[in-house]
Amino acid sequence: MLSQQGYTVLLLARPRDNAAPEERIKALFDWLGTDGIPSCVQIVPGDLNCSDLGLSSADYHLLASRVDEIIHCASDTSFSERKRSQIEKANFENLHHLLGFAAKSRCCFFHFISTAYAAGKRRGVCPEALVDTRSFFNVYEETKHRAEKSAAEYCGREGIRLNIYRPSIVYGNSRTGKTLRFNAMYYPVKILVFLKNLYLTKNGEQSREGAEKMGISFGPGGTIHMPLRIEAAASGGINLIPVNFFTAAFSAIMETALDGDVFHITNDKPKPVSDIIHYTQKFFTITGIQAVQTKDFQSSSQNRLEMLFNRYTQVYRQYMQDERIFDNTKAAAILDRKGISCPDFDYSIFSTCMQYAEAVNWGNPS
Amino acid sequence: MNPLEQIPEDIRRTAARCRHYAMCKIDYLDTGLCPPAKKTPYVSYFPQGRMDLCDALAKELIPVTGAAVDIISSCTLCGSCDRQCHFVTGMRPMKIMQALKAFLDAFQEKGEKAAVIPEDELLKALKNIVGHKWATNDPAHLLAYANDPFPLADRQIPGYVVLPGSAQELVEIVRFADKAHIPAVVRGNGGSVFGFVFTPGIVIDVNRMKKIHLDPDNWSAVIEPGVTSFELQKAAAEKGYRVNTAEPAATVCGNIVCTGLFSTWANVYGVGADHIVDMTFVDRHGTVFTANDKNAPNVFGFEEAVLESPGICTEARIRMHPVTDDEEGLLVPFTTLADAVSFARDISRRRIGLSVGILGGHYLSTFISPTQSLANQTRDVFSSILEINCVVSVIGDRYARSSIRQMVPCVIDSSTFRMFTLGLPQLVRSDLADIVEGLESDRPAYETVLSAEMLPVLEEMLAPSSGTLAAAVDEDLRDFYEALYNRPHMTDMVWLTMFRIVSARMSRHKHMFAFLIYVPLEPMDVIQELITSFAEIAEDHGIEHDLGFITPLDLGKRGILEYDYYIDHTDNAESEKIRQAMADIEPMVDKLSRSCKGVTFLKYIFSQGCARKENFLYA
Ligand SMILES: Cc1cc2nc3c(=O)[nH]c(=O)nc-3n(C[C@H](O)[C@H](O)[C@H](O)COP(=O)(O)OP(=O)(O)OC[C@H]3O[C@@H](n4cnc5c(N)ncnc54)[C@H](O)[C@@H]3O)c2cc1C
Ligand SMILES: NC(=O)c1ccc[n+]([C@@H]2O[C@H](COP(=O)([O-])OP(=O)(O)OC[C@H]3O[C@@H](n4cnc5c(N)ncnc54)[C@H](OP(=O)(O)O)[C@@H]3O)[C@@H](O)[C@H]2O)c1
Ligand code: SF4
Repeated sequence: MLSQQGYTVLLLARPRDNAAPEERIKALFDWLGTDGIPSCVQIVPGDLNCSDLGLSSADYHLLASRVDEIIHCASDTSFSERKRSQIEKANFENLHHLLGFAAKSRCCFFHFISTAYAAGKRRGVCPEALVDTRSFFNVYEETKHRAEKSAAEYCGREGIRLNIYRPSIVYGNSRTGKTLRFNAMYYPVKILVFLKNLYLTKNGEQSREGAEKMGISFGPGGTIHMPLRIEAAASGGINLIPVNFFTAAFSAIMETALDGDVFHITNDKPKPVSDIIHYTQKFFTITGIQAVQTKDFQSSSQNRLEMLFNRYTQVYRQYMQDERIFDNTKAAAILDRKGISCPDFDYSIFSTCMQYAEAVNWGNPS
Repeated sequence: MNPLEQIPEDIRRTAARCRHYAMCKIDYLDTGLCPPAKKTPYVSYFPQGRMDLCDALAKELIPVTGAAVDIISSCTLCGSCDRQCHFVTGMRPMKIMQALKAFLDAFQEKGEKAAVIPEDELLKALKNIVGHKWATNDPAHLLAYANDPFPLADRQIPGYVVLPGSAQELVEIVRFADKAHIPAVVRGNGGSVFGFVFTPGIVIDVNRMKKIHLDPDNWSAVIEPGVTSFELQKAAAEKGYRVNTAEPAATVCGNIVCTGLFSTWANVYGVGADHIVDMTFVDRHGTVFTANDKNAPNVFGFEEAVLESPGICTEARIRMHPVTDDEEGLLVPFTTLADAVSFARDISRRRIGLSVGILGGHYLSTFISPTQSLANQTRDVFSSILEINCVVSVIGDRYARSSIRQMVPCVIDSSTFRMFTLGLPQLVRSDLADIVEGLESDRPAYETVLSAEMLPVLEEMLAPSSGTLAAAVDEDLRDFYEALYNRPHMTDMVWLTMFRIVSARMSRHKHMFAFLIYVPLEPMDVIQELITSFAEIAEDHGIEHDLGFITPLDLGKRGILEYDYYIDHTDNAESEKIRQAMADIEPMVDKLSRSCKGVTFLKYIFSQGCARKENFLYA
């Protein structure tokens, strides 16, 4: 996208699992279906974990002399409190390594990819601005919030313009279903599909005895009945945006908002959990799953399947029954003008995403 | 005659890799012992000795002698050794036995005659004591008593091997050797693998002395020195008792004298003097004494020095312990060793549980896996997916288990253990990683995976059965493994901990060179420092290494820690690495021992194994 807009992109990348940065980026572009790494993309092997970005002094200064704008999207997106120090390091400390570099470079614009959930625990409208929040659903939200504030202070001091982009939950490409990861929206669905495939194999064999232990049974025409109530809020739902919308929105805002500001890249129509349940049942020929309101859901009456599902999806629960409403007036002002809008996450898009997920075995080649 | 023709390189290599842990000397899989060895229990008739013979013939270390012909001819090619050896080492010695037969056939077809080894006066004298059959100077026998995988000693072929049939004969041999100024050493099953049972003189093999007499009214068993831990435990268990034993092929008397016999049961049954009611010894001059005799040498004392043993134990009265009918095992998983130590110390203090041991990732995965590759994959699943890096293994009655369940978020109980064991091949192939990856929980993944609601799902995933497990081994062994794992005791933690038939699997990939240290369990720094030092020294010398186990002792006040180095004992370069590492290890442990109360290197306990534990734990 950036390369198509005439930028020269210097991509800071680190090695992993014995693969060199170049190899990794090459694999990424191959996956994206471009013909190799575009000529305007240059890979800079480095590491944000180091205050010098893992560069020699000479390379550091050379890079500093070539950079006009910085896009920072590296992050640890884990929610787990146990990983607090690692998450703080990735999302907060490492940001400062990059900000330090920005200050020493000719960079005049810092683009920081944050999250809509930097808003923390709230109900109702979350403004498109820096806000004071002390309470968060998890360490990820908290560190992203702190990072925003810190970036704003730092950039303000150093005279660097700052755009903060706050996407909600990103899923695959709405047209192709393509995605690299099957977390967030995909994970609860994946658990259900996993259970279905466990008891009902692809060639139609049923494991009745095993399924019974979980209260699961089989219906006609390859359907599987899963007696599962999923807690859902009376209003609200999951705020989902496709990655193609995110990239288009990001680039439009980056091109347009030149003074520095905060933008929500979100969906005006959060998807009720009941809709996603419906889609899932339809696509995967499952019956028995229903959304129930919290007031009707007594955790003491949970069956085994519900306990299992809840255990696995616990960390996603607040996003499944989210009552945060993201004001996106500023982003919309730009996006509307450019004809960019977020598609409704309807059954057709859901199917496209799930077809892709199944085709690539949910990212698990084996 | 060129032995290379009948003994090809791969067979020689397998033969040389025998670990000498003597597992083929006990009938631990109910395959029956090697039939000729059962009749004539020289080590040379056991599969272990046959592997040595193959190695020696291939290297032309000895001529084809009368004993060699007899040993090779006596093999019935029954295949028991193949099953036994595969179970612990993954090796298949049958092809060695077949190669030996082919070798002998070729030898005889050529019309060659076996070498006759003349008897000398000494041998005649020994035969006078034990009978013609039970003393020998034939090299085909001797070489089975000449070495073990201990990397710091060379092969030492003895002059004679003698197998006394009674305490009286044994005493006479000792007196004779003393008078003739010939060095003599007693050998149990050689499983110390520390170069202890070798001499240029006489090796006294006690394998004909295997009587066991249970004396329930005195809560004890009277045994002869050839009785192994496996055999004694079996005899005791049949009558509803338990003895504290460790490695199953070790002789009980040898093990007590040699190391003080430590095991995870040491938590409640102790070590050293705790095992015995009494022991009878013959000292090296032939004087017989019992440990309880007030005028006898003090075997219960301890001195921090490398000392000679008090003599040869010719009989021991070993303590037996009661067993309740509600004992079961459970494993408590942990991500960090510090948490595991703290928990083990805590339950030991609170007198919860009987056998208590912290097992590192390598032990846990190799013990339950029938092959090395499955063990490697299992370890990976346990640590990287389930976040289990160690477990506290506990045997306890229902009260103990119920208390433990209240103390920790989750356990692997006996039925889950069975499910994991029988479903391992599926576990490593499963999609577990895929669904655990997204958990993002604040608790380790194992808590979710072991939750009550997940267990039926796991069961479905793993399809645990003896057939599932057997699918992991060579095709021709599958029926055997399937039948073996159909037997409930093979997945019963209590039985497995009592009989320990899987512990030698730790060395399936390579011989282990074990370091054992008595340690305080608190503060954790001492254990941490030891582990770090062992690891660093191993890394410096390029040696594979791992934590073995830690067991609390004496109400959690102390513990015993095993750290293992792994080497290919057939590779001289690896032996050299150990030699160099030892120069760092001994001062490291000695220094720690001087600065920290409760740290004692097991090397000082060797041969003082009858000492009261208080004398080395708190002195
Ligand atoms: C895989 C493995 C795991 C092990 N784990 C443990 C463990 O958990 N706990 C533990 O305590 N040990 C352990 N050991 C060590 C081993 O079990 C002991 O050293 C034991 O003594 C071996 O018994 P053995 O009969 O084979 O003794 P041998 O090796 O034959 O002899 C050991 C020493 O004892 C002397 N000896 C033998 N018999 C007598 C006797 N009747 N009277 C006096 N001295 C005698 C010998 O001369 C020699 O010095 C392990 C060894 C292996 C290979
Ligand atoms: N996905 C969503 O639903 C969503 C929603 C809102 C906001 N966001 C934001 O969007 C951005 C991208 O998210 P994503 O979902 O694409 O995340 P992702 O798949 O987890 O990718 C994160 C990227 O960050 C890099 N990274 C992580 N830790 C690093 C470290 N210590 N040093 C250097 N690089 C590190 C990773 O590099 P390696 O590959 O080398 O590890 C990886 O490329 C993040 O800022 C995230 O907060 C995402
Ligand atoms: S095959 Fe030969 S060596 Fe092996 S157990 Fe049978 S008789 Fe003994």
